[in-house]
Amino acid sequence: MSSNRWLATGNYFTSYKEEQRIFFTSLDRTAMALLLLCLFAWPLVVSVDNKYMLVIDNILVAVIAVMGLNLVTGFAGLISIGHAAFVGVGAYTIASFARVMGENHILLTHAWPLMILVAGCMGAIFGAIVGLPALRLKHLYLAIATLSFQMIFQWTINFMNFFNQGQTIAVSRVTWVTGQVTRSQHYTFWYYAILVFIVLCGFAVRNLLRTRYGRCLVAVRDNDRAADAMGMHPGFTKVYAFGLAGFLAGVAGALHAYLYRGVGIESFTLHHSISFLAMAIVGGLGTLHGSFWGPVAIKLLDLQVERLSEWVGNHLTIATNLATALKPLSFGLVIVLFLMFEPRGIANWWRIARSYVKLWPFRY
Amino acid sequence: MSYFFQLVVSGIVVGSIYALSALGFVLIYKSSRVLNIAHGQIIAAGAFITYALTVWVGIPIYIAFLASMVITFFLAMSVERVFLRRLIGEPIISVIMVTIGLMSILDGLIYLTPFGTENFSFPHFLPETPITFAGISVSWTQMVGVITTFAMIGGFSWFFKKSTLGISMRAVSDDQLASMSIGISVPRVFGLAWAMAGLSAAAAGAIIGNITGINFDTLHAFGIIVFPVVILGGLDSILGAVVAGIIMGLIQQFASGYLDGNWGLNGTGEVMPYIVLLVILLFKPHGLFGIHEIERV
Repeated sequence: MSSNRWLATGNYFTSYKEEQRIFFTSLDRTAMALLLLCLFAWPLVVSVDNKYMLVIDNILVAVIAVMGLNLVTGFAGLISIGHAAFVGVGAYTIASFARVMGENHILLTHAWPLMILVAGCMGAIFGAIVGLPALRLKHLYLAIATLSFQMIFQWTINFMNFFNQGQTIAVSRVTWVTGQVTRSQHYTFWYYAILVFIVLCGFAVRNLLRTRYGRCLVAVRDNDRAADAMGMHPGFTKVYAFGLAGFLAGVAGALHAYLYRGVGIESFTLHHSISFLAMAIVGGLGTLHGSFWGPVAIKLLDLQVERLSEWVGNHLTIATNLATALKPLSFGLVIVLFLMFEPRGIANWWRIARSYVKLWPFRY
Repeated sequence: MSYFFQLVVSGIVVGSIYALSALGFVLIYKSSRVLNIAHGQIIAAGAFITYALTVWVGIPIYIAFLASMVITFFLAMSVERVFLRRLIGEPIISVIMVTIGLMSILDGLIYLTPFGTENFSFPHFLPETPITFAGISVSWTQMVGVITTFAMIGGFSWFFKKSTLGISMRAVSDDQLASMSIGISVPRVFGLAWAMAGLSAAAAGAIIGNITGINFDTLHAFGIIVFPVVILGGLDSILGAVVAGIIMGLIQQFASGYLDGNWGLNGTGEVMPYIVLLVILLFKPHGLFGIHEIERV
């Protein structure tokens, strides 16, 4: 460490333990604390319309889901084209509790954090089951296994009466220490709740990557034979990566169910799986903060494209198809351009900006 | 019993179309180890081009069929040139994701044309009374579709077995470095593989369009439904694609013929291939005819 701990221009580690820390410098730690403080405090200062709060909540839920996807795709190197189905498993766990016990049952309204964990575990179980082919398969075949889970999931929900055949299943409002969360508080309340879950999951994932289990994932991604030779079991590591991804997806799904106060199949289709993948790629595969950038970028792009096509539709009457066309077109272009020109995603821009600020006024 | 045979016949019809659609995947995978997820969109493009040429331009349908194959040939080749050429040597995740992005882009481009949202159907050019034999009926369009399919598959097999270009494509799939050292241009082979996949996609699109009518949703769904077929057959075997296509067609027809309506089941035809796929992946991961390249981990 340099003499002035606030102005470190590089990493001066003297022990292995120092290199293992979550925050490398005091500046990092302070910045993180300030960021968290801002995130928690701003709704108290600025009052936001419910419409925009919903968008923000939506992004935050996607962050949790993409964190899971980043574990399985970015760190363990297994493509999952069925992530929306795992999110759906979490959401439908809540929905089936609502269906069996009645939507106003005390477990659903009062013990909702427990329910969210249960949904996460459910997602983990399904993730591990779908990951089972990983014991024998690699790459493409595994991607297709997850795709077929997506298809089977959609069919099951669409056809079973228990799940209302894909129609919306209502989930009631929850109760907090201050009493039932009212309509006006709903989105702000869930903003806090989801934020807490993000912070917990984020620290869990960051810590996981420092342990041998996290390094197992990376080793198996980079070379599974070498990992095998070093005494890790690649097959089980892959299954366990799927399980972890399923857990985070399940949590995201449960939060989604509570946030929208209902679950319907149209939120968990193949299209959503693909957009989760896009978020992970645009954010940056194999980085933790990539899972924060990606959802923000993709959801904001979606919003802007919607606004643009609305504007175009108002001014040009012939361009009715343009609105439906712009969305997939821009979405696909973003994925392809990122992969061709910046395969490391927005996380790489962040890394460059950060190292510039850190080293300034020196070039390197 | 005639119900059973009717199911068999329609299974073979559906299956041979699956085989033709799966052929596109196999051709690309065989030479460049890329799984083209946007294949359904190329199939749709082929069908739309054929329709536009026959109905809007007014070319006779047989010539339009050939012309659309030629156009899609160059379309797919340029797709490879623009998007995939840069990614040679990149990790497999990037390549798959680029084809997913491509899928989205082509979706957007097709929505810009009138074909995106509406239904169209080809003008009738074959006798409308179906061929009936012992209580089993097949329509002429289905008959011609199956014959065309098998002719094309036969042509591709011949191409890979006998022609110099086909043999060089097989060489590239075996060992890229070795084939480069004997003077085969590997990027050209990749381009050619995509172009030929486009060719088969156009044929599949036109045949499906003739049988079921032109609708973007059903056409690009073929790109997804074909995954179980290529996996069952083995990703790099043309024969496998044919056999697996017919097996999947039969499974689908039997499932929707016998399971639907009984025990409260519905739409089993759509999900059965995926269930079969998951089971196959567990027990016979390289498919029926695929080479045993997957090592156990």
